Amino acid sequence: MLVDFELITRASKGDGAAFNQLVLAYRKRILGTIGRLIGHPEDVEDVGQEVFLRLYFSLDQLRSAEVFEPWLYRLTANAAYDYLRKRRRRPESRMADLSEQQVMLADAVVGERVNRDEGQRRRIRDTVDALLDGVSEEDRVLLLLKEVEGLSLKELGKIYHVNENALKVRLFRARQRVLKSFRNAPRQVAGLSGSH
Amino acid sequence: MEHQQYQSGNEEERLDALFQAYRSTIPDTEPGADFMPQLWQRIEARERRATIFGRLARDLVTAALALSSIMALAVSIAHSRAPLPSESYVEVLAEDNTRQDLDYFEPVRVEPVADQR
Repeated sequence: MLVDFELITRASKGDGAAFNQLVLAYRKRILGTIGRLIGHPEDVEDVGQEVFLRLYFSLDQLRSAEVFEPWLYRLTANAAYDYLRKRRRRPESRMADLSEQQVMLADAVVGERVNRDEGQRRRIRDTVDALLDGVSEEDRVLLLLKEVEGLSLKELGKIYHVNENALKVRLFRARQRVLKSFRNAPRQVAGLSGSH
Repeated sequence: MEHQQYQSGNEEERLDALFQAYRSTIPDTEPGADFMPQLWQRIEARERRATIFGRLARDLVTAALALSSIMALAVSIAHSRAPLPSESYVEVLAEDNTRQDLDYFEPVRVEPVADQR
């Protein structure tokens, strides 16, 4: 926990200053998580504000301060999911398949020769984004919370209020789907060429 | 370093390494200076909206109550103006019986039948 229980209790009783402190303590971590869940840095702050907005209006429903972090992660996962769903509805912003993605990546890498590290980072981001395009938004968020954020099954169970075994099965299936796309992806896209 | 790891090993390991590399590409960063002011603006805007809707709902309930009170009053006034029967129940019953008696005892008039021939 980044804050003490007393601060959470005060914030849940409507203390604006306590809520402000709560946001200041968690915003960096939450924005990082959102960035990795949605993969679009330009929209991170907007989604982050939505998370804290929902927190502000739902904090009084918190059963106890001990469950604050799973609660906050739940709000984060939901906001990321809502964002991804909205974004998927806009076809122009969706990367339809890996071959199209490959073209974009080539452009990106060529265009950013000045900063090769940034080009490499962007390539990795876009590759993961394209691989995760093959799974649903729910599975994308779940998989990233587990594989990238490093949350345990127990923690995920608390966030989703779901049995750990059910989560295990769902994660396994989602990972298998991503793995299949990874196998079928062109070598450059899957990051196997060792170019640069 | 992490960027290079996902380029070697079996597919499971490479995928794990790719996820780790992905994590390092988007580190936790401090938000811009506008983050908190904008957040509070959004909170206040939603509170204002909630207040407006709440007030509107209260006003509607008040108007509905007032309207139903007025209608109840109007109905009761209309009832009070209707003429009350001046006769008692027994009198009304007796009068009704009289009328029935008349039906039974009224003499029958027999019209003389005209000769058709």
